[in-house]
Amino acid sequence: MGEESILTRRRARAVASATADGAPRPALLLGSVAVIATCGLLYELIAGTLASYLLGDSVTQFSTVIGVYLFSMGVGSWLSRYLGGSLLRWFIRLEILVGLVGGASAPLLFGLFAHVGSFRVLLYGLVGLLGTLVGLEIPLLLRILQGRLAFKELVARVFTFDYVGSLLAAVIFPLVLVPRLGLVRTALLFGALNVVVAGVSLLSFDETQPYRRRYLVAITLALLALGAGVVGAERIQRYAEGEVFQDTVIYAQSTPYQRLVLTGNHRGELRLFLNGNLQFSSSDEYRYHEALVHPALQDRPHASRILVLGGGDGLAVREILKYPQVQHIRLIDLDPAMTKLFRSNQLLRELNHNSLHSPKLEIHNADAYAWLRQDTARYDVVFVDFPDPGNYSIGKLYTTAFYQTLRQRLRPGGLVVVQSTSPYVARRAYWCVAHTLAASGFATVPYHAYVPSFGEWGYVLAQAQPGTWRADGGGLPAGLRYLTPSVISQLRSFPPDMAEVPTEVNQLNNQALVRYFEEEWGPYGQ
Amino acid sequence: MPLPRRQFLTQASAGLAGTLLAGLVGSVPGCAPARSAVQGRLRGAGHALGHLLRTPDKIPAPTRTETIDTVIIGGGISGLAARRELHRLAPERSTILLELEADTGGNAATGHNARTAYPWGAHYLPIPDARDTELLAFLQQAGVLTGYGPTGLPIYDETMLCHDPAERLLLHGHWQAGLVPEAGVPAADRAEISRFLADMERLRRAMGPDGQDLFRLPLTLSSSDEVTRQLDTETMAAWLDRHGYQSEYLRWYLDYSYRDDFGVSALQISAWAGLHYFAARKGQAHNAPADAVLTWPQGNHFLAEALQAQGGPGRVQTQALVFGLHEANDSQLAVQVYDARTRQSTTLLARHVILATPWHVSKHLLPAPAAGPPLTPLHAPWLVANLTVAGYPGGPGQPLSWDNVRYGSPALGYIDAEHQALRGYEADEPRSLTFYWALPTDPADPAAARRHALASTYADWLALVLTELELMHPGLAAQVTAADLWVWGHGMVAPTPGYVWGPARALATQPRLGGRVHLAHTDLSGVSVFEEAFHQGQRAARAVLGASSADFQSAT
Repeated sequence: MGEESILTRRRARAVASATADGAPRPALLLGSVAVIATCGLLYELIAGTLASYLLGDSVTQFSTVIGVYLFSMGVGSWLSRYLGGSLLRWFIRLEILVGLVGGASAPLLFGLFAHVGSFRVLLYGLVGLLGTLVGLEIPLLLRILQGRLAFKELVARVFTFDYVGSLLAAVIFPLVLVPRLGLVRTALLFGALNVVVAGVSLLSFDETQPYRRRYLVAITLALLALGAGVVGAERIQRYAEGEVFQDTVIYAQSTPYQRLVLTGNHRGELRLFLNGNLQFSSSDEYRYHEALVHPALQDRPHASRILVLGGGDGLAVREILKYPQVQHIRLIDLDPAMTKLFRSNQLLRELNHNSLHSPKLEIHNADAYAWLRQDTARYDVVFVDFPDPGNYSIGKLYTTAFYQTLRQRLRPGGLVVVQSTSPYVARRAYWCVAHTLAASGFATVPYHAYVPSFGEWGYVLAQAQPGTWRADGGGLPAGLRYLTPSVISQLRSFPPDMAEVPTEVNQLNNQALVRYFEEEWGPYGQ
Repeated sequence: MPLPRRQFLTQASAGLAGTLLAGLVGSVPGCAPARSAVQGRLRGAGHALGHLLRTPDKIPAPTRTETIDTVIIGGGISGLAARRELHRLAPERSTILLELEADTGGNAATGHNARTAYPWGAHYLPIPDARDTELLAFLQQAGVLTGYGPTGLPIYDETMLCHDPAERLLLHGHWQAGLVPEAGVPAADRAEISRFLADMERLRRAMGPDGQDLFRLPLTLSSSDEVTRQLDTETMAAWLDRHGYQSEYLRWYLDYSYRDDFGVSALQISAWAGLHYFAARKGQAHNAPADAVLTWPQGNHFLAEALQAQGGPGRVQTQALVFGLHEANDSQLAVQVYDARTRQSTTLLARHVILATPWHVSKHLLPAPAAGPPLTPLHAPWLVANLTVAGYPGGPGQPLSWDNVRYGSPALGYIDAEHQALRGYEADEPRSLTFYWALPTDPADPAAARRHALASTYADWLALVLTELELMHPGLAAQVTAADLWVWGHGMVAPTPGYVWGPARALATQPRLGGRVHLAHTDLSGVSVFEEAFHQGQRAARAVLGASSADFQSAT
């Protein structure tokens, strides 16, 4: 009894002294519960938000990301039983690791989006890893605090701080962090907080003395890495946060020819911008591309050779491939980065139905004018999908000189379709394209389509021989979402506010089109 | 800051590149463009070979003799045009063309870098007077003229018409469209400029009492009206003073224009030539406005190549130095030629010789002329610089154009060598710019300017060009990666007072050596433009054939 009581008293004293000198220690550890809980929920929110930007369909993305994350936390909790020895040391290691993985999550997902074959594997792999690590945290803390607090106190306090931290995260994420910092910097900042928790724990407990110096070095390096990430993220953020794009930038690349920017939003809508100009929105590009391709091809049952100038996104090719008579498509796009992106990225391949991998397709990355001048092949239909004539260089691709070169590449009865800017916004520019084609010896059929992202959009169908094209729409493929025979005939009617106006003919030596385009689109560019 | 005109003229009369450089560098505070990294070299028209003439004992004596019908000495535009005309009218006659340089074309020289061909000299042709049917026929054969519109006006290949935007002027810190100063120019000056241009428009349409245009190209077709020809006796500057044209903006623009065509300013050319510059431009086309020009990446070398290709199978021998020309017998001339490739000399026995060399060469080959005033053409030395620039030469206002000029500059600005490139993108890639600079020349001692020009080093010229570039585009000089320079000792002839309609030119144009040597060169016109050279060559070829122009026209 005596012995025992002494021992009991000693133990009681030891506990009492631990609580007395270490009064701040449970408080410190409980404080870190709040911090790590905030961080943990934030990583989950960041992954869910990113997935809905990059993959679309936010309900599915959030649901699956949360599911995988929570399940992985369970895995982590279960794995915690295998951790033995110095639990505090494990905790410090874990915090450094969570900080690094969590902090790097958003930059990694953005950075690798365009470069990995299967983005979902990366996404769920990362979410699983992070969930597992975060799942280890609370069980480990409970075991560290086990002897220092009564069980009911322990559970009550730990879970209180855990849920308070979660509430904090849930509130500041949408209200402060996303609008002020953006996803990348938020992830990096909270990764750093996890590492700081590791540092504070390291410095607050005497038992860490033997390995303190080594771990301090590791913590410093981790903080430096995350800090470097913040600096590097500035460059992505400049585009992501700029007023230029209303949605989140998920991919940006400067090539020698242009700046490619892909954005995403919660509705799962992807938009591609070239030099800041919208090229397509995944929500309605089918209207644009159906209107570009089908009016010409529905009346060409024997068209076997097709040339596409521009259109490196493969979306026009997707529509062309709906015609079995087409045997060979040649696509000329200036920028190898563009065709590579749309050949390799999973989401974009889903959008273009993998058209850039079609065995019927031959891709050349070359300047269309230079290519055409040395080309000797002839084509049944040519689709001209260049950027709008916003500068003197692109303006050369809309001149009589260019169209005459193009005409020599057509088979008898050949057709050309030219995307020709908006006849509503830039009425003179649109009719200038039509008149330039006419002056180059084509019989023209102007038409237009309504594409919500663009507004009223104009095309000119140009026949090498007049009267060889009919609009009965009989040859339309099944499954179109926009064009029907009756819609095709409506496209050719121009209401008075877009009706034909006299214009100059665009030549290399007058660049009339660029001037019209600047005057008419200029007010919209401000 | 533009140099004040008076200061420029003072420096011009000093005629020293060094003075000019000091003045320019001084006007750019803190500007010392880095030039250690610039790659390039200084070139010039075959001095070494040409200067062999000064030491005739070093030239080997002829070891072979060849007989040929007609020898054409000089492969510039005049010589090539003469060769083409001979082939066209008498394809059975044997010809040989001898050229001192490694390439034909004369002032229409070209070079190239990894990206593009570029000009080393003459680089454009204004669309011609539609009445010049012979020139049009050549252009049609060359593929430049593709047909005729419904009103009979020529249609030019659109890719060869200077693409838009053609010209811009850096004035008051802003690049304006066109070279006639407008932006920020006071109303009084603008009014004076308008009045001058209206005067020129009137002269453009004016006819003499003989029913001929007062001013026309080729200039021999201009009216012989005495009142008009009297204008050849005074300077253009005096004429401008007499007519109250004092606007500094107008005078700069005119000096710029004259330096661009003649190498000297209104002070040094005759009023007839100064007015002819504006009033003889009568181009018309179905698909281009009257002021359009034709141009190619390689400059007028494109036209030289076409002339040569249309000249038949006759031999063209380059790096050939003619060092003797005399009568061999009653019916033949002896032409002694040294071939720098084989280092051997040959005597060519020819029935006729067309001497299509600059006057300073021709006068050495010909025996002393008959009594009369000597022809003394003034040639300003020229500097042409082809630069590779890593950055884009932008600036406020109109974007990079074909011809880019700084108001007030003593240089002539630069052209974008890739302007005519047929491609549809604006890549972030190096640019090739061709700078032109007619160097200041004192008419009293033109040799001094030439000596200085030829004695200046690559570094001297490069400093001059980079400083000018820095004034046009601050910061761009540091982005120059390569610069090749060409100094023309004799650029283009200047139509000084009395030159065009004085007796010396008429005398110099006469056939020599028993009527067997016919001369052809723009030095014999006084206006060094393609049209003149073309007609000089045609005239000499027809003189060889003894066929009058009238006979020929009735034959076609």
